[in-house]
Amino acid sequence: MQATLVDQARRGDAEAFDSLARMVGDRCMGIAFRILRDADLAEDAVQTAFISAWRELRSLRNPDLFEPWLHRILTHACYAEARHRTRWEAGIRLLSVEPVHGLDNTLTVDDRDQLERALRRLTVEQRAVLVFHHYLGLSISEVAERIGIPVGTAKSRLHHATRAMRASLEADARSSTNQERMA
Amino acid sequence: MTASRDPDRLIHAFLGEGLDELPDPVYDAVRDRIETTRQRAVIGPWRTSDMNRYLKPGLAAAAVVVIAVVAFNLLPGAPAPGGGPTPSPSVSPSEAEPSTQPSTAAGLPEGPHVLFNFQSLEGASVQMTVTIPAPGWFGDWGSGILLKNDNPDPPEGSGMIVFAGVEDLYVYGDPCAWSTTRPDTPATTVDEAVAALAAQASRDASAPADITLGGYTGKAITLHVPDDANLADCDEGIFAMFQESAVSGVDGVSRYAQGPGQIDEVWILDVDGLMVVIDWAYYEGTPADDVAELRAIVESATFGE
Repeated sequence: MQATLVDQARRGDAEAFDSLARMVGDRCMGIAFRILRDADLAEDAVQTAFISAWRELRSLRNPDLFEPWLHRILTHACYAEARHRTRWEAGIRLLSVEPVHGLDNTLTVDDRDQLERALRRLTVEQRAVLVFHHYLGLSISEVAERIGIPVGTAKSRLHHATRAMRASLEADARSSTNQERMA
Repeated sequence: MTASRDPDRLIHAFLGEGLDELPDPVYDAVRDRIETTRQRAVIGPWRTSDMNRYLKPGLAAAAVVVIAVVAFNLLPGAPAPGGGPTPSPSVSPSEAEPSTQPSTAAGLPEGPHVLFNFQSLEGASVQMTVTIPAPGWFGDWGSGILLKNDNPDPPEGSGMIVFAGVEDLYVYGDPCAWSTTRPDTPATTVDEAVAALAAQASRDASAPADITLGGYTGKAITLHVPDDANLADCDEGIFAMFQESAVSGVDGVSRYAQGPGQIDEVWILDVDGLMVVIDWAYYEGTPADDVAELRAIVESATFGE
């Protein structure tokens, strides 16, 4: 079904591309939002990615690889959005106020706060690796292929990102323990 | 620490939370944009390694039609398809209008031939015209490809392929292990592109040399595919040279070798801030006359809007 739509879209069928976009759009939004931590930026990145994909669709040789191919385009669109934001809002960091779905009850408010802050301190490239690994459940080699980076680079980015995220949780846990002792 | 407080589990749970729905206005905006955004025509590679030989001409023809139609539609003052001028026999090749006719069974007529016409979305455009010096050259208007006797394969084939309007060139570190050696950052200048090609594994590259072609400066480098290379052992059976643009993606090899022993003369020019990559290729067994004609075709190149 998806491959058929890709074939039609490659021949310039905008209707087919629209159907294709609606099949994969929610997942793209999920990826972009988790990388960028901002709904407006994520929507802009997804829109940019779709338009780039339309423009470059004829370079995709295997229609079955449309979604991985699109995800790579989306990742680059996220990088561009993040850098655009960095240029215009250097130094300003706001925690997300977006309504989030699928809240996990193992996470406390403090956990979320610490993890959000830690995530925002990571580079956008590190965030992308984390998102593809945890949100899409891809292995390191799959993440590397999806993003278009060497496996060693993906490993290194995941290692540093995970270490930073763990450190933020552990620091929060130590802080809570000290406060309990002093009380 | 209990399992539920395991940091890795918490990180995983945290990244599972978030927005998962793309609002309808975004789809509508995309739809509006694509209605006015043309799809980019793709030039080359000459052939895919596993394509059924009998399917190739049809697919190639289809691709050429797409490219030609796009080019016709975009080229100001271009003749209508099917009604274009053909060179008059009484006019010398240098004075003749470039042929707009597709290759016939006998190949292209001698004289000027538009190798490509590139127009970026930003409005930059460049057209490359070459002079066909002898019979037996095949290629179609604007396709970016010319082949002697319609044969790019070893041991005797020869031809050229051109990539125009190149902003980003991802040169694989190892053409055989290309899937894992694509650089994070592309070459964006002639010097960077040639340096990356010179450093490519197993290519026995020549020293880059300065060139001027059609009034534009650039660099030339000669690369080899090892005679004993077994392409079947390479990633996906492809000896890949480079990927043009960032978004060709997972499946986006732009140029790969036809076979062992291939000699690539790669000329890269800076044409008004955009790279033009000209790859003319042949083998040890290619007749010397064919190589000389190929060189003459490349050296005849002129650029204009």
